[in-house]
Amino acid sequence: MIFKKNIINIFFIFLLQFVMSGSYAVEPDEILLNKKKELMARNISKNIRCMVCQNQSIDESNASLARDLRILIRNQIQKGKTEEEIYKFLTDRYGDFILLKPPFKLTTLALWFLPLAFVLLGIFIVYFHNKKSIKL
Amino acid sequence: MQRHILKIPFIVFFLILLVFFYLLMIDRNPSKIPSALLGSKVPNFEANSLFKKDKFYSSQEFTNEITLVNFFATWCKPCKDEHVYILRLSDEMGLNVIGINYKDKAEKTTKWLKKLGNPYSKIAIDNNGQIAIDWGVYGIPETFVVNSEGIIKYKHVGPITKKIYKEINLLVRGLQ
Repeated sequence: MIFKKNIINIFFIFLLQFVMSGSYAVEPDEILLNKKKELMARNISKNIRCMVCQNQSIDESNASLARDLRILIRNQIQKGKTEEEIYKFLTDRYGDFILLKPPFKLTTLALWFLPLAFVLLGIFIVYFHNKKSIKL
Repeated sequence: MQRHILKIPFIVFFLILLVFFYLLMIDRNPSKIPSALLGSKVPNFEANSLFKKDKFYSSQEFTNEITLVNFFATWCKPCKDEHVYILRLSDEMGLNVIGINYKDKAEKTTKWLKKLGNPYSKIAIDNNGQIAIDWGVYGIPETFVVNSEGIIKYKHVGPITKKIYKEINLLVRGLQ
């Protein structure tokens, strides 16, 4: 019985780990009172790369620059700036690298289409190869 | 035709390998991020000055001479390491150097400069890091070269080493 209870406890601790893995670095004093605006800030922050750590978004990073950028984004939202204007403000200064998702434009065409091209090439080869095998 | 088709994956794979080897061989730093501000005008900002009582207005600077802009702080060890080169750029080359003191304490900076020497003609204070964000700075020390028309021509992230000092020296000579 005790053994069973322990297993259940371990299971819950394990489950809790997953729930808590979505932790973020936003500090209480940064949070906007207006829930809609705060949500907008959080959504933008999730797409902005922390330039110091490079593989985290500023929403998750504890770096001081990440905090400065989170505050800046919230200030701009308070001033009534739109999402596009805020993204533009940031890419004007830090380039496209600050966006975690690379934008779709002429210079990034290869990045977006090369995987698809490889898949098509693979299908093409398998198709022709199979056709040949059937004949045999 | 069909026999040749099976060779395609190998050719593609070989080409990808070639590209990877090429990128490994060339002298390249993958963590280096190109600045979005190269070739554009210096950001407009105003700040408190460290030594003078009047404010620092960027619109009044960068108008008639080549200027070096250096983001530094006394708490940053690499800033101390590069200081000797900034002094050389200022003293030996006669370059106008503007310092931007990033998240620091005024008394500490004054002491630091008294001890190490002051290469800066003016120092703007960036208490909350907003000027740094305007310049696309992400890790100090960072140094910019601005031409006499106020256009950013060069950016270096990290301390100025002997190699970078030579690079800036050549660039400034080219701009003059």
